[in-house]
Amino acid sequence: MLVNDKFLGITSYLMSKIVLDNDKFLELYRVMIRIRTYETTLRTLSREGKIPARFGMYTGQEGVATGVSAHLKKDDQIGSTHRPVGHLIAKGINLDKLTAELCGKATGFNKGKAGSYHIFDPETGCLGANGIVGASVPMCAGYALRNQIKNDGRVTVSYFGEGGSNQGGIQETLNLAACWNLPIVFICENSSPVVQRMLGHEMDYPQLTIDNVSIRAAGYGMPGSTHDGWDVEEVYRVAGEAINRARSGKGPTLLEFKVHQFEGNLEGRLEANEKDKPFCPIDVLEHKLRIRQILKKDTEEKIRLEELELVQKAVKFALSSPEPDIKEAYTDVFGGAF
Amino acid sequence: MPERIITMSEALNEAMFNEMKKNSDIILLGENVSSSFRGPTKGLKDAFGRERVRDAPISETSFIGAGIGAAITGLRPIVELMLVDFGLVAMDQILNQMGKTTYMSGGAVKIPITLRAVIGAGTSSGATHSESLYSLFAHMPGIKVVLPSTPYDAKGLLTSSIRENCPKVFLEHRLLYNVKGNVPKEEYTIPLGVANTCNEGNDVTIVASGLMLHESLKAAEKIKNKVSVEVIDPRTIYPLDEETILKSLQKTGRLIVVDEDYRYCGFSAEIAALAAEKAFKQLKGPIYRLATPNTPFPFNPRLERELLPNAEKIEKLIQKVIGE
Repeated sequence: MLVNDKFLGITSYLMSKIVLDNDKFLELYRVMIRIRTYETTLRTLSREGKIPARFGMYTGQEGVATGVSAHLKKDDQIGSTHRPVGHLIAKGINLDKLTAELCGKATGFNKGKAGSYHIFDPETGCLGANGIVGASVPMCAGYALRNQIKNDGRVTVSYFGEGGSNQGGIQETLNLAACWNLPIVFICENSSPVVQRMLGHEMDYPQLTIDNVSIRAAGYGMPGSTHDGWDVEEVYRVAGEAINRARSGKGPTLLEFKVHQFEGNLEGRLEANEKDKPFCPIDVLEHKLRIRQILKKDTEEKIRLEELELVQKAVKFALSSPEPDIKEAYTDVFGGAF
Repeated sequence: MPERIITMSEALNEAMFNEMKKNSDIILLGENVSSSFRGPTKGLKDAFGRERVRDAPISETSFIGAGIGAAITGLRPIVELMLVDFGLVAMDQILNQMGKTTYMSGGAVKIPITLRAVIGAGTSSGATHSESLYSLFAHMPGIKVVLPSTPYDAKGLLTSSIRENCPKVFLEHRLLYNVKGNVPKEEYTIPLGVANTCNEGNDVTIVASGLMLHESLKAAEKIKNKVSVEVIDPRTIYPLDEETILKSLQKTGRLIVVDEDYRYCGFSAEIAALAAEKAFKQLKGPIYRLATPNTPFPFNPRLERELLPNAEKIEKLIQKVIGE
C-alpha cells in the first residue's frame, strides 16, 4: 500500500503549490546534502574503528530536520534522540566539534564524555541527544517553560520516533504542554513499517495499532497532523505553521512525518537495497529542483563538493585532536569545582 | 538576639519566600503547590503568581523533566514531590537525566534544580507512602541529598540548596514539619556537606538523620547519667562530612548508626564502611546499625512500629554496645 502511495505522492509533489523561493530551496538542499555526506563519511570512519562505538543514523530522514530547522533561530532549542546527527547539523552545530565528540576527543562539545547519544551544545540550542528513548521530551517542556516565562519569543522543538511515542514520559509531556500552553512543537518521525521489517524489527505484536501517531494529539487537546517526511517542501510548510503558532503563544502542536531509515537505526546494522530506497528526500528534492529548473548540474556538483570538503575538514580536525586528559574521568559530576 | 520559635514547615516556607523574592528565575512546580493549605508552599502563589508557582498534572516524569529542562536553560526550579515514593515513577528523569546530564555534557550545562520531597514512616500510610529512599538517591552520581532535622537547619539548608548550581534532592520528614525551634528572621545559609554535632559525648558515637536524630537525642538524654553519647547529624547524606564522624570516633571508639531508610546497601552501611576503612584502629568493638529491615512498610501501626528504629530500641543498643 505504501508503494502505491509513493507514486501518487510523487505526482502530487510535482503538482503541489510551490512554497519556497529558489534561494531557500537551494539552502535546504545544501543542508540535506551536508547531513547525508556527513553520515556517509562517518560510517566509513566507524568501520575503520575510529569511532569507539556505533552511532545512530539519520540517513533517509534529512528532509524532516532540514525543513523544521529552517524556521528555527539560533536561540531556539531542540531536544533530540539517540540518532541525533541530522537534527544537530540542521540546527547549525559545528561539524569539527561534533566529529571530535563522536570520536571521543577532548575537543568535542562535551570533552568526549557524551558520544553521539548525549551531545549537548547550548550555543546552538542543541539541548540534548538522549540515550533513553523518549527522555528528552519532558526536558523539552522545561525549555519551553523557560521561553514562556521569559517571554522572549523562543520556541522548542522536541523530536522523537514512533517507538518513543509510546513512552509514558511523552504521553505525560503532551498533556503537560497542553495544560501549560507551552511554546513547543512535538515532531514524531514515524519510520515505515517496510523498513522495520527489513531490519528484522517486525514483531509478533505491533508497537502501535494506529497508522498515524498524530491522532493522539486530539487526546491531549492540541492540533496534530501527519505528513510526508521525504518531501522537505511539505515539511517546511507545516513546520512553519506549527512553529509560528508556538511562537505567537497559541500553544503546542504534534506533527508526524513518515520517514524511511535507509541504514537502519544503528550504523552498520543494515545495507539497504536500491529498491528499498523509494522515499529518499534528497532524490525527491533534486527531482523537483530539476523540473523547476532551479538546480543546474554545475550548482549541484559545487554544493556536493563544498559539503564534502567541510566534512573532510571536520574529520581531519577530529582525528588530529587529543584524547581527553585522564583526570577528566572525574570532573563535571556536579559542574564546577566539587 | 531574642528567640524566634517557628515550625520547620514555616522555616521552609521562609527560605523559599526569601529566595523567590530576590531572584525571579526561581520557580516552583508540583502538584497543588498553589494550595493555601500546605505549610511549606503556603502563600507563595499569592506572592509570586501562577506563572512562577505552577500547579502540574499528576505526572511526575513530565513535571520533573520540565524542571530539569528549565534548569538547563537558566531558571532555578524548585520541584515538589508530594511524597518521595511517587518519585519512583520518574526515575529516568531523576537518575539518568537530572543526575548525569552535567557530566555527560562535559560541564556544558548546569542543572540548578532542587527536588523537594516528603519522606518518612510512622503515620500508618503503608508501603508506598512511607519510605525515606535517601540511600537510593545518594547511591547515584550527580545528586546531592539533603535531609534537615530542625527548623534552623531546614531554612539554612534549603537556602543553600536553591543557590547551588547542581541537582539536589531535598528531603523533608513529614513528622518534623510541626517541630518547633529557634529560627533567625534574617537570611543565612548552612553549607551542604557539613555535619552538626548535636550532643557531645565520650563513650559512643551515634550518627542519625531526620526523625532518627530526634529519637537518638531522646535516647541519649535518657541514658546520660550512665553513658556519655555523642550524636552527629550529617545533615547531608551526600556529600558526607566524613571528618566530623571520624573525629568523634577517635574520641569514643564506638559507633551506632541509626537509619530510617532500608538497611541493605543503605546509608547505614556507608557510614559503617567509612568507620571500617578510616577508623579501624580506633574502634573498640563492632559497628552497630539500627535501620529499617528490607521489608515494605505495613499499614498496621503495631507492625510498622516493629520495623522502625525508635528511642527505646536505641537506648537498648547503647547499653549493649557499652556492656561489651
